[in-house]
Amino acid sequence: MKSFWKFFESVKLAIVLFIILTLASVLGTLIPQGRSAAEYAARYGSLSGLFVKLQLTGLYHSAWYLALLFLFALNTIVCTLARLGPKWRRSFRPSPEVDDKSLQAMKIKGRARFFSPLPDAAERIKGDLASRHYRVKTSGEGGRLAILAQKRRLGWFGSDAVHVGLLIILAGGVISGLTSRRANLELRVGQTADVPHALFQVRLDRFETEYYPQGGVKDWKSTITVFENGAPVLTRVVEVNRPLTYKRFSFYQTSYGWDWENPKLEIVVKKPVDPSYSKTLSLKVGERLAVEDPDFTHLSVSRFVPDFVIGEGNEIQTRSTEPDNPAAQVEVWKGEERVYSGWTFAKFPDFGEGHKVGQASLSFVLKNYEAPQYSVLEAAKDPGVTFIWLGCIFVTAGFFLAFYWPPREIRVVLEEAQGKTEAVLGGFASKSREDFQAEFDTLVESLRRTT
Amino acid sequence: MTEATLFTITFVLYILSAFVYLASLFAKKEKWAGSGLVLAAAGLVVHTAALILRTVVSHHAPFTNMYESLSFLAWASVLALIVLDRKFRIPRVAPYVMLIVVGLVALASSPLMPKEVTPLVPALQSYWLWLHVSVTLLGEAFFAVAFIASLLYLRADTEEKKQKMDAVSYRAVAVGFPLFTLGGLVFGMVWAYKAWGTYWSWDPKEVWSLITWFVFALYLHTRIVMGWKGKRSALIVIIGFLAALFTYFGVNYILSGLHSYA
Repeated sequence: MKSFWKFFESVKLAIVLFIILTLASVLGTLIPQGRSAAEYAARYGSLSGLFVKLQLTGLYHSAWYLALLFLFALNTIVCTLARLGPKWRRSFRPSPEVDDKSLQAMKIKGRARFFSPLPDAAERIKGDLASRHYRVKTSGEGGRLAILAQKRRLGWFGSDAVHVGLLIILAGGVISGLTSRRANLELRVGQTADVPHALFQVRLDRFETEYYPQGGVKDWKSTITVFENGAPVLTRVVEVNRPLTYKRFSFYQTSYGWDWENPKLEIVVKKPVDPSYSKTLSLKVGERLAVEDPDFTHLSVSRFVPDFVIGEGNEIQTRSTEPDNPAAQVEVWKGEERVYSGWTFAKFPDFGEGHKVGQASLSFVLKNYEAPQYSVLEAAKDPGVTFIWLGCIFVTAGFFLAFYWPPREIRVVLEEAQGKTEAVLGGFASKSREDFQAEFDTLVESLRRTT
Repeated sequence: MTEATLFTITFVLYILSAFVYLASLFAKKEKWAGSGLVLAAAGLVVHTAALILRTVVSHHAPFTNMYESLSFLAWASVLALIVLDRKFRIPRVAPYVMLIVVGLVALASSPLMPKEVTPLVPALQSYWLWLHVSVTLLGEAFFAVAFIASLLYLRADTEEKKQKMDAVSYRAVAVGFPLFTLGGLVFGMVWAYKAWGTYWSWDPKEVWSLITWFVFALYLHTRIVMGWKGKRSALIVIIGFLAALFTYFGVNYILSGLHSYA
């Protein structure tokens, strides 16, 4: 137990851990994290197996990285505890008594002589220290009095506050890892969905994409209503950077898309020989629409893709779910006989012109395509977050205390002889010594002037 | 006056400042350093006007693409220099800091950096953009001063110069590290939680901020607890600054992740 304590009390361990954690973290940014096995095999060849075995492909969640963080936490706890007790006593239960040797050993020193008895001199010094915001404690009797003056005592605990904050953050991370719940809700307008792990539902009332006048997306806004026990509870707009929080769950605007499975299409049929001929047909994919025309009897669309591209094996695919190159495969029938089949493109209407259909020549234009939009909301519950913010407050306050709240300590020993009082002063500050030296010197100077 | 004109005037003033500072250093005329500081301060005033004008025109914070953020980093570096110079008198460090500033502004002005005002993508529309980026870059500006002081420590020839550079480097880290922690990590986590629903995603930029943080934490522990000063301290600061530089610059161009806005 004792050797365990000794091991974790060492700052050298902290330094070794800092170095290992740094190197490990660098490694994790050089190897892409969380990709597919095929990608690693293509990238690293025979090494990929080793990488997976050493958990380098999910490094930050690997057992050994977490073990390092755990050691780091233990080290921080033990180091902080080992130093806290003595520091606490020194700051809040100090003894004003000091022997001459330690007083002489203090780096900042001064002397003053008073032509008055000890109690008067002591009052004078105490008053002066108090006016400089020092807390004063005294002890001693007869012809000797020791004074201890301290200020900004909390400054001693800046590093401890940072350490405690880091531990709270690590604890928050563990709580998040073990208890947080996240799920993506893909909602079409009007659709209601259960929120996983919660006892309420959300309905998407409205979804809109706002654009800047010069193009480019300005915002995605989902209006959602929360339902509890079948009754609406509240309605709010969720947008990027403006999540809705309800009963510990937060809803984030994460993504959006179109449901291209069943779009509403409009195909315009024209005849190059007759400029006045134009027929606009509204139909769905797979629907066979009867048309009164001498050249054909039915028209159908067998397939629709939002972003047409020809794949490696010459098959038709969609490159994305964005309507960047919408295309429909139009089929024309004369009775049961298919007389034409070909693709027509919304953005390249020329492709649809002048196709031979039986004896006639027809042009097809994909004029309109509409699909219901859906919004993807992330529903997340993360009880660790509270700890993270609390830890952040500790870390920030600790930094302030450690760097900008330097504690100061002045010790004075007064000795009376023949109605005169001799004062020896010593000062201590762990930081910003120059400023302290200046304050100390003015103090000694002012004492000397009034003696 | 347009932002471009103000930016050009700023550039000229910074170049003059760097020139006067370097002349003061190499001609050993310490009085000239005062003029270098005045020129840098004048540049800072015009630069501030340029940043305000850009904010008014673009309706958003002036650090949303590489041009803007380089310009802001230069601004922050001059501010850091003036703050530290007023407190600790650093005429030997200032010339090199101004050289870095001139380099940053030159890079921002290069044709590689698109300068037109672009509307903000939804993810960046938050007041946390102001807090997160400005405080982080200010912290990194102080790291830059610490870096210069550490380099000068390594090639200082007298004990007096060495002690001064060691102290300046520590003072700059003492300002930069809390700012970097608050702006980069704390504000970063708060914003990530609001925008992405998770405060930490192990995104390369996040990891590199953490790496930078580890290096400066190492610096403080070795220095304060183990009493390392001088050469080893200076080397750690140099590594720390390079990590911060990579976090700021390298991650965007070399590694891909959530932070790819610029």
